[in-house]
Formats: sequence, structure tokens, C-alpha cells
Amino acid sequence: MAVKAENISKRYFRKTGGANYFYAVKPITLTIEAGEVAVLTGRSGSGKTTLLNMLSGLLKPTEGRVWIDGADLYSLDDRALSRLRGERIGVVPQGRSAIDTLTVLENILLPAKLCGKPLPIEAASQWMERLGVAPLRDARPAALSGGELRRMAIVRALAQSPDILFADEPTGDLDDENTNLVLSAFRDYAHEQKKAVFVVTHENSALQYADMIYRMDGGQIISSAEPK
Amino acid sequence: MKKQMIPAIILLILSVVIILGSQTFLSPCVHEDGSFGPCHWARQTLLGSGCVLGIMAAFALCVEHARLGIYLGALPVCALGILTPGTLIDLCRMSTMRCRMVMQPAMIILFSAALLCALIGVLLNARKRS
Amino acid sequence: MTMKHFSLSLKNLIRKPGRTGTLALLTAFLALAVFGGSVVVLSLRSGLNSLEARLGADIILVPSEAQSKVSFQNMFLQGTTGAFYMDASALDKALEVEGVEKAAPQTFLASLKADCCSIKIQVIGIDPELDFTVQPWIARSLTRELGDMDVAVGCKVEADVGEIIRIYEQRCKVVARLEATGTGLDTAVYCNMDTMNALLAAAEEKGVSHKIESGDSVISAVYVKVKDGCDIDAVNNRLNGHIRKVTAVRTRSMITGVSDSLAGVSRTVTILIVSVWALAFFILLLAFVLIIRERAREFAVLRLVGASRGMLGRMVLLESALCGLLGGLMGVGLAALLLFPFAQLIESALKLPYLMPDAGRVLLLAAGTVLLAVTVAALSSVIAAYRLSRIDPGTALREGN
Repeated sequence: MAVKAENISKRYFRKTGGANYFYAVKPITLTIEAGEVAVLTGRSGSGKTTLLNMLSGLLKPTEGRVWIDGADLYSLDDRALSRLRGERIGVVPQGRSAIDTLTVLENILLPAKLCGKPLPIEAASQWMERLGVAPLRDARPAALSGGELRRMAIVRALAQSPDILFADEPTGDLDDENTNLVLSAFRDYAHEQKKAVFVVTHENSALQYADMIYRMDGGQIISSAEPK
Repeated sequence: MKKQMIPAIILLILSVVIILGSQTFLSPCVHEDGSFGPCHWARQTLLGSGCVLGIMAAFALCVEHARLGIYLGALPVCALGILTPGTLIDLCRMSTMRCRMVMQPAMIILFSAALLCALIGVLLNARKRS
Repeated sequence: MTMKHFSLSLKNLIRKPGRTGTLALLTAFLALAVFGGSVVVLSLRSGLNSLEARLGADIILVPSEAQSKVSFQNMFLQGTTGAFYMDASALDKALEVEGVEKAAPQTFLASLKADCCSIKIQVIGIDPELDFTVQPWIARSLTRELGDMDVAVGCKVEADVGEIIRIYEQRCKVVARLEATGTGLDTAVYCNMDTMNALLAAAEEKGVSHKIESGDSVISAVYVKVKDGCDIDAVNNRLNGHIRKVTAVRTRSMITGVSDSLAGVSRTVTILIVSVWALAFFILLLAFVLIIRERAREFAVLRLVGASRGMLGRMVLLESALCGLLGGLMGVGLAALLLFPFAQLIESALKLPYLMPDAGRVLLLAAGTVLLAVTVAALSSVIAAYRLSRIDPGTALREGN
């Protein structure tokens, strides 16, 4: 077991309308195991990203708890939580996530640098090679295309060898070839290094790489199943 | 615009300020009786140095392959400009006079800025070569 | 811990030169105003002190011709030349007056400009036996007395010790260059009374008349020191009554005039500094808040990859402090480039005694100004840093898309 969520929910206050609040995510209990790729699909607005943010320690749930290897994430203070996020959790967020003033390689090594860990230069080079961004290592993000930035963010998450990797629409900007490159990299990472990977996507192509598929709608998980 | 040209443009501007300034707002003392003090001759020399510097800057803008050499050559011209008022050529005998109060400090600052500029030009062009 | 912020902050600053430059420029204005203003005010203040020390007398007697008082003040304050004469007997008459402790004569002569310096130069003759105002100052640069045809020159007369300068065709040897006083005395040349009499005679030959009808021994001013405990105004009145064709002037009135002008300049400078300070602080405050808003996504990403709130807050403070440091150095540098080479121009424009503080004080002031710039820049980013630490990375990342 890598991540366990117990009855986590997220409630927001509504400015107008009948009820004065609504649930973005209704109470969910969920376990993500090490060594598997879990894929969460669903329509947009179904609460996928909110769930991912809560699981990855970025958004405090209104109720419920999240454990990562026995540590209760939201009982930690900001410093300890930040440290844990840097050392053990990798996140590929939606959209651009590059620091413009750093080169591609510096961006990739940034998490380790912030935690004061030895820089994972070798792992970084291997993943850059595999995802085809190696030639861009000294380029600045402004010179990169959307797809290249996305792969850079993925390499940044993978290079830290996190115990659990969260990816929010990781293939959104990618063509079919790169989509397969990225998803197979996720699968190999989970299977070979016995780590957990949690991918949020609305694309069906991701399903064939999944060990576990969750479907979400209206803030609830409506089905969870291993693929046929 | 190439980076190596920027020092030349600044040099050109500085030399225009030197040339015009030496004749107008940075001019030395004026004597009521029309005679010339020593500062007059310092001004003439500064005018000459300023003209040489301006022509060199114009060359540096036009002749690309000779740029490094032109910047190197500008260095001693600037040094001459710095040393002219007060060191090589005497000025008037009183600190409160215009040549010491205005012309000397302004010219030293202008030529020092030009020296710095030429030095940056040398460094930029030397790096480009290697 | 700090090193890794430092390198990241430094990269943020270096690789966004436009942003860094703008912030630095704002603090540079602040530093320019603070440093420049303080140096000018300090210089005026030490100029005033120096003026008080050099006047050194309670009352000065000058001929009561209409122009002589104004001319005397201008000579002292601005270094213009002045030549006015009275009978030498005024000295003895002054000593007769009750309450007068010391009295010392001075004689003034303006050189012809063609002679030595291509400008008219003020020559001041003193009586080494009686003088109590100029001597102590000369003694700091010259260990012996002024001999015949020796001159001591003010620091603004560009002549070296040992050089011969010619005044009315007389060869005078420069034996000392005096310390700066910031007053008009710096442009004058000093000699003893015998030399002065020789120069007066030479001037006479050149057709420059200084004779007054009654006698042939002339002086220009008498410096009077009043006995301790005596009322200076009363002595002043007695002197005015006792000596004919002479006006007694209290030195205090000259000093008060200067210190009034100084207070005016001080006030202007203070208003300037305060308004620049307030404006710069306000603009910086605004700039930092706007910049943080623009950088919200960047900071959310940093949070994502393991930066804590405290780390981001420190990073913002460090970056703004570094901008302040850069701006402070730029401002002080620019101010120094204007103040020091053009000190004489400033002095002439202000028309007040102006004496630069010594290098140690200037350096201290520069360091203080840079420190102030760093503090102001860091302070103005505190609000921004606080708001930043409240950013919820999940929300910021979604909004930024």
C-alpha cells in the first residue's frame, strides 16, 4: 500500500444558488497500491483534479484523512508536508509548470535541490533520453513547445524516484506517439521500481496501460475495476 | 542589432556630447578681454580627442571585421581625454573657475565612460572571436 | 538551506533583467535622494561651523561706505574680491573702547587678473602679532610665521608650495596651502602687513588707488573680541559712537543669515527625501504585489516540488533585498558621481559655505543609505510575501491555465 484515503471530501461555499455549499468531491475511500498504475477517468468537472490535489498533499480535504506509507499527510505542519512532497511525491500538474528562469535540466533537478538531496543527474538523463527531451537540457522553457514542456514536467516528477507519482492529464498536449511513450514509461516505472502511479485523464488511450481503473462522476467514484 | 555594436553606438553618442559640450555647456572660462587662458587650449585638445573618438566609433559601426582593433585603439584616446584637463594641460588657477568646476569633472567622467564602453567593446569582440 | 534559495533567487534576478532592473531603479532613486540630500546638508552644516570658527571675532569694523559691509560679507561667503579702506588709527581707537579685549587689523587688496591667475584674487594682509582669527588656521599648515614676501594660499588657489606667484609684479613665494574652510576664504591669499604694504605700493604704481585722503597708513577691517561678561551689543554701540566713518558689525548677524539659508535648504532637502521615500515605498509596494500576482503560478509550482511556505517567503524577501542592494549601490554611486566631481559647482550655486564631510563619514553615510535601501525594499515586499504564503497551490495551478 502506498496511498490510502479515508472518507475524504471537498466542500466549497457557493456564492449564489439554493444550498450555500456544494461538494466538489463527496466522501471517498481509496487505496493505491505500490507497483500499479491507477487511472482515474471521468468527464470534466467531475472532481478528478480536486481528488488528485487532495491525495498529493496540495489541497486539504474538508473531511477525511490521507495516509502515505503510514504518515497522516494533513496532520503534518507545512514544513514537514512540503518536505514529504518534495522527497516522496511526484506531481505532474495540468498546464505549464516550468520555472521560466531555469533551464530544462535545472527545472528537472529543482525538487532535489529544494530538499537538499543529492541531485539525481543520472536518472534525469535517462528519463530525458527516453522521453526525447535530452537535446533541450540547456534550453529555457520559453523556447519549448507545449508538448516538450509537458514531457519536461514528467521527467521532473520521475527523476526524483518518488514513491508515488500523480499525473493530471499528462498526455493532453501530446501526439499519439508521445502519449504511448509517456504512458509506457509510467507503466515501467510502476512495475519495475515497485512504485505507485496515479493518472487522471479523460482519454481512453490511457486505459490500456492501467492496472486499476476508476471512473468518477458528480464528485463520486462510480466504478473501480481491473481492466479486462 | 548585434550586441557588439552597442558600445560603438554609445561611444558615438558620448563623443557627440564631448564635441558639442566642449563648445557650449561644458566650455571653459571666458575672459572679458577676449584673451585665452590655459583652459582654452585644454578645450581645443579635448575637442580633437572627441572628434577622433567619434570617427573611430563610426568606423566601428561600419567596418565589422576591424571592430576589435578599433575598440583597442579607442582606449588610449580615452586615456588622453582623461589626462588632458589639469594633468597634461594646466587649467586656471582657481577651483572656483568654470574650467575646473564644470569642464574638468564633466570631461573626465565622459571620457571615463567612453573608456569603460571601449573596454566592454573589446571584451565582447574578443569573446566572439574565441 | 540558505545557499539553495540564494542560487535560485539569484537566477530569478539575473534571468529577468527587466524586472530586476525596474525594481533596482526605484530603490536607486530612493538612495540617490537620501545620500545626495544628506551629503549636501552635512556639507552645509560643516560649512557653517567652519564659518563660525573662521570669523572667530564678536564684532568686525569696516569702513562705513555704503558698499563695504555687503562687499565684506560676499568676500567671506562667496569669495568675491573686495577692496575698501579706512585710516589705520581705527585700530587704536577700537582698543580704547571699554569692553574690547583684542583687536586685530586686516588689509584687503584685489590683484589684477592679468598678473598671476587670470582672475582677480583677494589678497589679505594680517598682523601676526595681533591676529587671533586667521593665524590658528594658518598654523595648521605652516609651522613658522609668514615672512616678508611669503604668502599662504587658500585651498582653491591652484598653486604649489614653493611656487612663485606674481602680484602687481611683485614676486611672492607660496609657503603653505591652507586647509579647506568651505568659505570664501579658500580663494584668498594671505600675507603679513609688511608684504601687504609693499603690494599696496606696487598697486599704487600701477595706478590702482587705495589712498584715503587723511593718512597713508590704511587698513580694511578690524576684528574685535569682546571681554568675557561684557554685553556685545553695548560694545558694538560704543564702537559705532567712538570711531568716525566706521561701521561695527556683529558677526552673529552674518552667521544668522547663513544659518537661516541653511535651514531653508535643509527643509527643502528633507521634504524632497521624505516625498521620494514615500513615493518609492508606495510604488515598490504596488510593484511587489503585482509581481507576486503575475508569479503566482511559478510559486505554486515551487510549492508543488517541495518548497514550504517559509521558503517562498524567504525567497521573496531575499530577492527584494538583493534588488534593494543593487539599487542602493546604483543610487549611491550615481549620487557620488554627481556630488564629488561637481562639489565646487554645487557650492557656487548654493552661494553658502559648503565643506564636504571627510571620507570616513561619507563612507558611513553611503553604507547607511545602502542598508536603508535594502530594508525598504525588503519591507515593501513583506505584504506580497505574506499573501504569497497563503496561495493554495492546487487552486493557483488550475487558475493559471
